Amino acid sequence: VSKAKHEFKIERIFDAPRQLVWNAWTTPELVMQWWGPDYFTSPSCKIDLQEGGRFVFCMRGPDGTDFLNGGIYREIVPIEKLVSSIWFSNEQGDLIEPADYGFDPIFPKEQHQKVIFEDLGDSSRLTIDYFVESEEILEILRKVQMREGWETSLNKLARSLTV
Amino acid sequence: MDVFEALAAPTRREIVEILASTGKLSASDIYQRFDASPPAISQHLKILRESIDEWTQKMTRIWNKRLDALEKVLQAEKEKLRSNTKKGRK
Repeated sequence: VSKAKHEFKIERIFDAPRQLVWNAWTTPELVMQWWGPDYFTSPSCKIDLQEGGRFVFCMRGPDGTDFLNGGIYREIVPIEKLVSSIWFSNEQGDLIEPADYGFDPIFPKEQHQKVIFEDLGDSSRLTIDYFVESEEILEILRKVQMREGWETSLNKLARSLTV
Repeated sequence: MDVFEALAAPTRREIVEILASTGKLSASDIYQRFDASPPAISQHLKILRESIDEWTQKMTRIWNKRLDALEKVLQAEKEKLRSNTKKGRK
């Protein structure tokens, strides 16, 4: 039984064929153009596009600080689906404890991301799902999830807290 | 406060667990289950609510910006493809 539970979801329809959207996610030169938006730049990106392959995305802040996200591709269905685990990393892509990155130690060490690419003819729909595997928090979210079904547990939780 | 930091406090975690196991509860139902005063519990509820909203908003904001940037990349790639096709025909 997977420990991963739905936590955050966002989708967007692009006026571009699915193959192009897929390329933009899996080609380093293209990823670097959008991974670090706004005042951030993305100076490097490494991708080993195969199941079990690693990736390292880098985001550089306006003050020159680099934020590295490393991860591993868990499941790849070409032009349809990318499932990966993602974490804060060093330049080699090895996991760095969130606490060492200045986050609270309870922050999940590893997040799971599922990206779905759907063909809508001339356009395509991209859906990004985030999951967390942090035992303690997950246990809580799991309980919420069991009651509430597929909607995002945190949103649900927020609503049930509006008492 | 980060949602994960918010959940680090035992009382707040307990509140969430109660909510999770019982579904929707009114504030007074929640107050009754704790020895702490209603204002104290109310404060915990507020922190939970805000941290979750904040986290969701933050994620949404980051991703919206990122997807805006992605959209531009896709437009540029489409343009490239289009001009390559034209060149190919010549």
